[in-house]
Amino acid sequence: MNRASTPSHAAGEALRRRVLADPSIGILSLLAIASIVMSIVEPTFATEGNVTNIVNTMMTVSFLAIGMTVVLIAGGLDLSVGAVMGLCAGVAANLLTQGLSMPVAFAGALAVGAGIGLANGLLITKLGIPDFIATLAMMGIAGGVLLYWTAGVPILGYMNQTYYYIGGLTRIAGPITFPMILVVVIAVAVGLLLGRTRFGMMFYAVGSSPTGALHAGVRVDRVKIAAYVVSGLMAAVAGIHIAGRTTTVPPLIGNGYEITAIAAAVIGGASLTGGKGHVFGALVGALTLTMTRNIINLTGVESSWQAVVTGLVLILAVAANQAWTVLRARSRTKALAKGSAATSPPLASRTSRVHHPSPTPDDGVGSDAPAAERRPETIA
Amino acid sequence: MNQNGGMSRRAVLRTSSLVGAGIGAMALTGCTAGGGSAAAGGGGGSAGSLSYDDAIKKVVAGREIKVGFTPPVLSENFTQIEHAAWHKMYEYEQRFGCRWVWERQAPVGDFNAVQGTLGIVQSWVSRKFDAIAVCTGANFATVQALYQDASDKGVKIYQFNQPAELYPPEELRTVTNVGYDNRWQSGYLAGTYIAEKLGGSGNILQIWGPSGSDWTRGRKIGFDKALAENPGIKVVGEADGGYVRDKGFAAAQDLLTKNKDVDAIYGENEEMALGASQAIDQAGLKHWDGEDGILTIGADGLVSGYDQISAGKLTATVDIGGVDQGQNLIEAIFATAVLGETVTQIINNPTQVVDKTNVDWHRAYTKWALDVPKKYGD
Repeated sequence: MNRASTPSHAAGEALRRRVLADPSIGILSLLAIASIVMSIVEPTFATEGNVTNIVNTMMTVSFLAIGMTVVLIAGGLDLSVGAVMGLCAGVAANLLTQGLSMPVAFAGALAVGAGIGLANGLLITKLGIPDFIATLAMMGIAGGVLLYWTAGVPILGYMNQTYYYIGGLTRIAGPITFPMILVVVIAVAVGLLLGRTRFGMMFYAVGSSPTGALHAGVRVDRVKIAAYVVSGLMAAVAGIHIAGRTTTVPPLIGNGYEITAIAAAVIGGASLTGGKGHVFGALVGALTLTMTRNIINLTGVESSWQAVVTGLVLILAVAANQAWTVLRARSRTKALAKGSAATSPPLASRTSRVHHPSPTPDDGVGSDAPAAERRPETIA
Repeated sequence: MNQNGGMSRRAVLRTSSLVGAGIGAMALTGCTAGGGSAAAGGGGGSAGSLSYDDAIKKVVAGREIKVGFTPPVLSENFTQIEHAAWHKMYEYEQRFGCRWVWERQAPVGDFNAVQGTLGIVQSWVSRKFDAIAVCTGANFATVQALYQDASDKGVKIYQFNQPAELYPPEELRTVTNVGYDNRWQSGYLAGTYIAEKLGGSGNILQIWGPSGSDWTRGRKIGFDKALAENPGIKVVGEADGGYVRDKGFAAAQDLLTKNKDVDAIYGENEEMALGASQAIDQAGLKHWDGEDGILTIGADGLVSGYDQISAGKLTATVDIGGVDQGQNLIEAIFATAVLGETVTQIINNPTQVVDKTNVDWHRAYTKWALDVPKKYGD
């Protein structure tokens, strides 16, 4: 019996190809090695308590990184997420202190986040302001509004029993907290949107080649605006969460988070040039940054060196992803060459795929195929 | 009324300290008696002689005093300092007829957004402000050059809440530095408080501000001195908490996971100490109750921190004298920029460890400062 022809083998092969196609494998391998080494060097590292700490701590960045990944895929960049997160945290906290119910307070925060995302999108697409400038300006506006509004004094007195769950301070069962569940639900939903829907694929198309996407009939402006709305919403979710986690909203609560979110998304495989990235990668990126800080704290690395170590990890993580992508491409080229030797006609070159797009699922957005013909690299 | 009464006592104490600091105007203000209506209304209960007030009024001649105030960030601490300054401005406005023009600008970003501070100061210098009050995380040499340039152009620069004690006094190019000694009036106090409460032995964690910060450097010098005097106190872990609560929280969680036997946590500022307090709750550990549990101490003297002390979530904090800093800053500006007097280069304010035993009057004093009779700069 030909083993290769069995359905289970075919499914296994598909899974193998899918896993190997994931650019996050490089950084995940690195994290696995680091975890093994750390478990030996510092036994505390592998304890349930520490793992729970890491996962809980990475939640805020995870929410932001998911939104940032969507924007990066669509070829944008959102520098306002940290400030928007802070503002939305302030809105949720303030509305609660006014005596409004939690759903109303959270809806208010989400509306502010989505509204700012929409404004970002409109500024970029309708006024033609570069993404960097528009979101930089929005970062200043959102941060400034919170500062002016609070006069520098943190918002307090809004916590209740339910909010402790939302902030992850009270656990639901065992080590499981509400933010953990929420991040999984959102990651799956956004992953499905990006990888399994026609609309989701448009994000990749727009990010890879806006002109190509336009020619393919994609409404580029709408897609880009949608990406910023998603990012604004995720910043609002992060804001609602962090207000619960810190039990106070100081006006500078979001400072620096935009860079962390970008770093997490890029570590996870998103490209600053657009058209690449996936939700799972964003989570891996958030985990990498959080784990790095945890290792630094556990090993007692002198604080002067912490920024250096974090910078080196960022370079190493992106390099690991790149190396994995290159290795995968070489292996695929070899496989194609082998296959083409057995069949005819041979592929003349990689660029020929532009005119003869391959139907294989491996033709991800990093390929040379036209944007509209590429398949996204997503988890779902 | 009680608050006013408390303020009167406090004002007398503050005046005494400033006589030593050389602020003649302040000494006179505090010593006068049977003042006019303006003095009675705005002097926080201090009585001013009509003749003295009239004499000063004549000097002031209703002039406008343009002041720029730039903290490194907008925060609860700097809001308290600013509001305390407004109290004193209002008092002098009522008594001496001066008109204050107040501008507050902070660089966008965090303590490291120093370039913004430099731009703000340069802008005010070019606009010929009478006085510029600065607190910044910028490099010492860079800002001194800027201050020298301002001074050459006739603009007076004052620093507040700045760890000026870390640098040679002869290199300071400011009129004065209104603050406190981070080494001995903050870090050392916290270290000795921990040692005293723990009976001279125990394991502690430290959550520091960003590496390279002058505040961190100063407080560490003082804390290390306290450790040297109490060899039974062992630092079993330390981390960078970035001066913010969520990073302080995460850092304390990490350190508490590794170190099971911890008696105290020092957060270099209050936000990080409060983050550490949350980590204690998360780990299911007990807060210090005077006998056992984990002691947490920070530094700042914020109303939010005082509330947590009352609630038993924060053991103590070092009140860095923010209210006095704000008031004395205005007194120094008035004495030098208006009356032409001189003041000492360093004006250190009273600081104190605040715990449950004395939190009430510290909170009342700070709340009094926040409840301003008039806002400036709007």
